[in-house]
Amino acid sequence: MDNITIGLPRALMYSRYGVLWRGFFKELGARVLISEPSSRSTLERGSALSVDESCLASKLFMGHVDALVGKCDYILVPRIASFSHRARMCSRFQGLPDVTRVTFRNAPQKFLTYEVDVNHRRTEEDAFLHLGAQLGHGARESRRAYRRARKLMLRHYAREVRAQEALYKSDGMKILVCGHGYVLDDAYIGEPVLKGLSRLGAVPIRGDLVDRDAALRHSAELSPTCKWQTNRELVGCIAMNRRRVDGIVLLSVFPCGPDAMVNDLLLRRVQGIPMLNLVLDDQSGIAGIETRLESFVDIIRFKEGAL
Amino acid sequence: MKENEPRKIAFPRYAEYNCAIKYILEQGLGAKCIVPPKLTRRTLELGARYSPDYACTPFKTLLGSMIECLEAGADTLMMVYGLCKLGYYGELEEQILRDLGYEFDFLNLAVYDTGKKRDFLKAAKFVNPRFSIRKLALAAMDAFRMAEYLDEVTGELYQNCGFQVRPGGYEAAYQTFLNALYAADTKAEIEVAHQAVKRAFLEIPIEKPVRPLRVGIVGEFYTAMDEFSNLEVEKKLSGMGVEIHRWMTVTNRMIHYPGEKNLNVKIRDLSQYEMGPTSTANIWAARQYAERGFDGLMHIKSANCTPEIDVMPALQAIAQQNRIPILFLTFDSQSSDTGLMTRLEAFYDMIQMRRKVIQ
Repeated sequence: MDNITIGLPRALMYSRYGVLWRGFFKELGARVLISEPSSRSTLERGSALSVDESCLASKLFMGHVDALVGKCDYILVPRIASFSHRARMCSRFQGLPDVTRVTFRNAPQKFLTYEVDVNHRRTEEDAFLHLGAQLGHGARESRRAYRRARKLMLRHYAREVRAQEALYKSDGMKILVCGHGYVLDDAYIGEPVLKGLSRLGAVPIRGDLVDRDAALRHSAELSPTCKWQTNRELVGCIAMNRRRVDGIVLLSVFPCGPDAMVNDLLLRRVQGIPMLNLVLDDQSGIAGIETRLESFVDIIRFKEGAL
Repeated sequence: MKENEPRKIAFPRYAEYNCAIKYILEQGLGAKCIVPPKLTRRTLELGARYSPDYACTPFKTLLGSMIECLEAGADTLMMVYGLCKLGYYGELEEQILRDLGYEFDFLNLAVYDTGKKRDFLKAAKFVNPRFSIRKLALAAMDAFRMAEYLDEVTGELYQNCGFQVRPGGYEAAYQTFLNALYAADTKAEIEVAHQAVKRAFLEIPIEKPVRPLRVGIVGEFYTAMDEFSNLEVEKKLSGMGVEIHRWMTVTNRMIHYPGEKNLNVKIRDLSQYEMGPTSTANIWAARQYAERGFDGLMHIKSANCTPEIDVMPALQAIAQQNRIPILFLTFDSQSSDTGLMTRLEAFYDMIQMRRKVIQ
């Protein structure tokens, strides 16, 4: 492979599969270009390219794609629809490759796609074989690259879960922050919230980094018919850990459909622990968020008699 | 619910399809069906008050309709599921209604969606423990027929009612037809109602130009069909003298769906994959309309419908490629009649002027 460059937008599924993608392309000898962490301008650019009503996370995604256009041979935009009958992704992830291609139809840029839709018998491994084939690699080569990269990803993820697990045992006020990985990982939207909590003396614990199999099993305790994979993981995380933390922040971006529904249900069903439903929109400035976090932390301190 | 008495079951208002749902529940399962009252501002206000702010609008409408069903005497509510947020409607609606203090049994078909078709029989058993499969299958076939007639007649109505010589004839015949469907207990009654309305339509004098203005409607599975939710947009536009075509109906999507793969062939440059339950069909239909020389396209959806938001860039591309005007309409709980009318009049003026230019 003579050094083709694959662009990876640092948004949406990058937080979940970034390690897998980087490992896979590295094994195949392709170079990888990752867009810079989000900033105000990423969002402004993305908003200009998107339908007004799209969610903040997908507007950011378009901003990241835009930052890569013209700088690489291909940009990777996967379609991830389902993992099993009761584990799907929000329909946005099904439409993403097509929406991206149509949005950038006038730009001289090629896109790469792979499709995971287990309900229609398209597994992740098949998808990566196909992805390799598109770049001219044989099945054996691609399979080996995929399996190695997958091992890397699982090891990396296990490390991240262990790090969060250790936080549950730490002293101080522990706050479980439940939001999609692509929200919490994002430098412009999620990070300020996590940092804000730390600054207030609390220990933020990420709800998306959790033993996924266990979380999926436990999610039915709180919401039996929830079908969105990433939401089920968060619901399961709350079911497993709500007694080990002092408060829960439900963090979503405007107007995330699954979160709107599932978080409303959680607020109704999870009782006996302070909960904050925080919705981020593309208003500039973090002052409003900081105030809400501050008062939330104060409420917990007050409840525990420390204020 | 008392022993040995049939359930009084209700499905919230879904355009006029409640007549078919009623038929299945009553003739197929031996339950008593409470037909929900017509949707009004009150329904939507009730629903919006108790729903999460940015749930899609049909969630709010259906929740309001469920409350009205309970007020009308239903003891059991029923909810379907789907591939989008619809799949989660049932669980959240039940929780909201229980938190409000309502008492009822809830049949959430999402619970029975386990991947095994057989499990849906458990849902039928829930409605009536002594139901007969044979009766249910026969009733379902009749109800499908009823829905097909309903879609066919509704389509015919909006293709012609804008051209009737004396206003009101089509609407009156249509209303008689609907009343007959809601009252029908047998297959024969359905057939009679269908024949009667076809005859009545034929007798209404119309004056239609050889090439009338034609607008193709695509859109979301609830809002595009439900005239309360879209503020009777079809009636308003056809009333200006426009022939309206809408492929997206329950029977076209659920029973006569040509299949993802074959619909996709014509639109592969815009959509290689299924983006949501109705995306492929909508993009395909829009392209059909554009290529057949329609004068305009209209996209109807509710606020916060994710799959339909994702369809919009593809529709914009079709409008550009074929140089056909497209009007995007999003309906939420605060849409107003006057605002819609202004936009429709402007749209009508534009397609009419465009027709004069290209002729």
